[in-house]
Amino acid sequence: MEHLLPLAAALPLVAAALLPAVAWRRPDAAWGWAVAVGAGLLGIVGLLLRRLLQDGPFSYAVGGWAPPWGIELRFDALSAFSLGIALVGVAVLVFSGRYAQAAVPPQRRAWYYSLLLVNLGGLVGFACAADLFNLFVCMELVSVSSYALVAAGGGRIAALAAFKYLVAGAVSSLLVLFAVGILHALTGSLNMADVALRLADVEARGPVLLALGALTAGFMVKAALFPLHLWLPDAHASAPSPVSAVLSALVVKLGVLGLARVLPLFAGLDWLVLAPLHEGLAWLGAIAIVAGALAALLQEDLKLMLAYSTVSNIGYIVLGLGLATPLAMTGGLVHVFYHALIKATLFLAAGAIIHQAGFRTLRDLRGVGRAMPWTGVALSLGVLAIVGLPPTAGFLGKWYLLLGALEAGRPGFAVALLAGALLIFVYYLRILNAFYFRAPLREQILAVREAPLSMLLPVMALALLCLLGGLFGSGPVALAALAAARLAGGG
Amino acid sequence: MDGGWQHLDYFAFVALFCIGLYVVLAKSNLVKKLLGLNIMETSVFAFIVTSGMVDGGTAPVVGPGIDAPFASPLPHALILTGIVVAVSITALALALIVEIKRQCGTIEADELKGAE
Amino acid sequence: MEVLDIRVVLAPGISLLCALLVFVLGRHDGWRATFTLGAALIKLVLILTLLPGSLEGVVYVYRAFDFPPGIGIAFRVDGLGMFFALVSSTLWVLTTIYAIGYMRDQHDRVRFFGFFALCVSTTVGIAFAANLLTLLLFYELLTICTYPLVIHDETPAALKAGRKYLAYTLAGGALILLGTVLVQHLAGSLAFGTGGLLAGAAGQPLLPLAFVALVAGFGVKACLMPLHGWLPTAMVAPTPVSALLHAVAVVKAGVFGLLRVIYDVFGVELLAGLGYTSWLAALAAFTILAASFAALAQVNFKRRLAWSTISQLSYIVLGAALLTPFAALAAIVHIANQAFAKITMFFVAGAVERTTGRTELRELTGLGHVMPWTMTAFTIAALSFVGVPLFAGFVTKWYLSLGGLQAGAWWVVLLMLASALLNAAYWLPVVYRAWFQPPRGLEPGVREAPLLLLAPALVSAAYVLLLGVSTRVPGMPFSLAEAAVRFVSGIGAAP
Repeated sequence: MEHLLPLAAALPLVAAALLPAVAWRRPDAAWGWAVAVGAGLLGIVGLLLRRLLQDGPFSYAVGGWAPPWGIELRFDALSAFSLGIALVGVAVLVFSGRYAQAAVPPQRRAWYYSLLLVNLGGLVGFACAADLFNLFVCMELVSVSSYALVAAGGGRIAALAAFKYLVAGAVSSLLVLFAVGILHALTGSLNMADVALRLADVEARGPVLLALGALTAGFMVKAALFPLHLWLPDAHASAPSPVSAVLSALVVKLGVLGLARVLPLFAGLDWLVLAPLHEGLAWLGAIAIVAGALAALLQEDLKLMLAYSTVSNIGYIVLGLGLATPLAMTGGLVHVFYHALIKATLFLAAGAIIHQAGFRTLRDLRGVGRAMPWTGVALSLGVLAIVGLPPTAGFLGKWYLLLGALEAGRPGFAVALLAGALLIFVYYLRILNAFYFRAPLREQILAVREAPLSMLLPVMALALLCLLGGLFGSGPVALAALAAARLAGGG
Repeated sequence: MDGGWQHLDYFAFVALFCIGLYVVLAKSNLVKKLLGLNIMETSVFAFIVTSGMVDGGTAPVVGPGIDAPFASPLPHALILTGIVVAVSITALALALIVEIKRQCGTIEADELKGAE
Repeated sequence: MEVLDIRVVLAPGISLLCALLVFVLGRHDGWRATFTLGAALIKLVLILTLLPGSLEGVVYVYRAFDFPPGIGIAFRVDGLGMFFALVSSTLWVLTTIYAIGYMRDQHDRVRFFGFFALCVSTTVGIAFAANLLTLLLFYELLTICTYPLVIHDETPAALKAGRKYLAYTLAGGALILLGTVLVQHLAGSLAFGTGGLLAGAAGQPLLPLAFVALVAGFGVKACLMPLHGWLPTAMVAPTPVSALLHAVAVVKAGVFGLLRVIYDVFGVELLAGLGYTSWLAALAAFTILAASFAALAQVNFKRRLAWSTISQLSYIVLGAALLTPFAALAAIVHIANQAFAKITMFFVAGAVERTTGRTELRELTGLGHVMPWTMTAFTIAALSFVGVPLFAGFVTKWYLSLGGLQAGAWWVVLLMLASALLNAAYWLPVVYRAWFQPPRGLEPGVREAPLLLLAPALVSAAYVLLLGVSTRVPGMPFSLAEAAVRFVSGIGAAP
């Protein structure tokens, strides 16, 4: 039991390293291996969550070295996002079985699963990291595997998008590393709790501000916060659909979770007022909501629409962090979790549709909802959830954000949020209209068959979670409120 | 250590960082962009390594007859990891550039934009 | 007295189950008809079993889900909710029978009847909502579920109407959400039944915003001018859908929401002090007159009906805005009066269209000779709208006038007279021409409408008569409305 926490991060990583050996003789075994690891990860995370709910946050000192010297892993309310990682991870791995057969060249398939596992392991490690360097290393594990995964399907646009993603990602990683270096130079420590304590005694203000700026900018790029989102749409749209699901649901959350981790480090400084930074974040978040929605409105390509929708949804989360009241941050953080489930549903459903139909623009896909009724239902549920219709999961984040905006005395942000939500509804309506209520342009659409069970099952399961996750949402909300209280309390 | 902010060498790192950033943003050739990225990485690594230096310190190898002060070993460990990451990114980027060259016939960003 | 009772959640649940059954097993016409009709009847009986308690002032409650935590999806049946649920589920039975006849040999019947059942499920959810958020939830679901019905024909005109419908109602939904959040922020609770959630929030600067957001939000579906634009456009939908929009569910959800806002969220006392409702009353009065004039200008049967609905709905809004017990009684009872008369009209319009292919008002000339039963139903509904004594519409006008006098607003009496005249001006000539002029240009074979279309129209027309004469019969809707006024805290003493 004691070693479960490091195991959660290590299991996918070790399994990823072993995977080429497993798939050496029998390439088909790669999928089974990856799915088994994913299921194991889900089980471990479940146990960790149970312990968190029973005993509160707990730490693990790697190698027995006590913090602040040793490497510390910590499972707290923010780390509970691991559940989202594991759920989406399992769904994506199961889904990949049939998808990868068509979309990923055979010689790359083992690597594809390997990279996915590295990605998931890095994400869990990031969520549980208690020191800055671990945070950086896990972030890099995730980032590098993501760059490679974008290009995994092959093709011109994917390679270009991956390169663009790589450059933006590498620069933002460097900013974070730079800031980590400064903080270490200033405090002599890397453990986050320790850094927060020692930073209060640091007299040099310039470097502290520089570190704060570099961290914020770095994580903003990772989160694809408008206007630093330019790398996102192409990368998310041209990647294989299961990868798009991982990127949009989980990987962009690195930036947001990273911000939530590092901002409290600076909250204890009595000379540093974070209010302008929060104000800026709130404005950027509000602008991102509307701008992302407007951009999505102009798209014809199904996956590009979903990608821009991510830009818009990140706006929700950042707005919550920026408003910085307990309710608003609860809304933002609970949306981190639920947006992961919802966007994974949408990308996987869209992936199944594109895979079966062979088209990817709304015009070409007209009428496909009738040909693929179950996938259509899952997609519709995802759509209702992402527009935040009660009682789906997407409503909770919106509800607490609205309350938070009023709590902060900023009803204007509440109005902006609602306007954005309406815009988001408009472009999702276009999808539903095209799939159900328009006559097909392409004759082939009528002959499209329902997705195979291995694709349908994960999509349906996730769609059901989008619905039930809202109805039984008190657990995630309580955890988000806990994390928000810690953030608001100044870390 | 915190007094070291006024050190002249820090200006060198900032200059390197800016040169790298300029190359990444301004150059059209993808390989040059990658070189710029590497320059930026180098500047950050150099900065962190020097930040671990203690005036008059020696290499932190503990043994009979060797006395403190030692330079802080932690930054070196960090940068080793950082270099590993940087190398893998460079390798991946080069592979992508090869792929792009094969698929599109060019690695100039402005020509690629037209080809999209 | 509050009683925990599972029937409260079963009632919307039955329609939901019915919808699922229709979607999964509904390809066979017989099965589908059995499911929808069976569910409609079971639900009506279920709600009727709750009626005696409601008349005594018993409030049935049930808490379903803790969503969002601390507020919850909860159900609560008081007199007002009971009244709305009873009206809509009675009409659902009629509309189902009618729709089975009307939609025969139409495309996509599975989708149609599935969403039809979903709509009614959500309507009962609205009626039984125990807090503002549950109300909002079902209100939004109703919007979504009606959309596939509105665009059922999938023609460009239908899609355009659907877009307009969604644009109006979703924007309204967003406003209600804003209002709900404001109420939660100001009052710390959303639960109905306290006679005014915001009673303690007098003087808060955000109070006017909350009022405007909630009234405008619900006002969209209540067709309060200038938020009425979607209703005439939505007339492209099949006739049973129009009936659903105009009588059973959608617009009624809007006015019901307004009643909740006035009686349960703000409360009569707070509003009397604030004075916002005099503006609302003025707007309602304007809508009554302006929509009547607009109806006069229409030559298409269903379009005139649409404008007539807009005008009639504002009776309810006006009744609520006057804040007196008699006016409240008129408002509540008009939910039924308008619904039965209007649905009769739509049944007639659909029956005439299906039988003769005629959709314009002047084409009704002489139809009384060939379709006497259909035109009898039409005449009864028309007389009710005009407000002739012994017909349902008169009850509303009478108590609304009394309520106006109670509030010291004598102009309400004049308004009722003017509205009666206008209604007479646009319905009675049609009645006259139908009965007293010879038919023109009819094909020889045209006869009375088929039974599945005719019977619902006659039953609802009979009910219009019954509503007009049964105000002293216990157990009839009027007594329930009286109970609602008596027992719903905040409305006031019994008249």
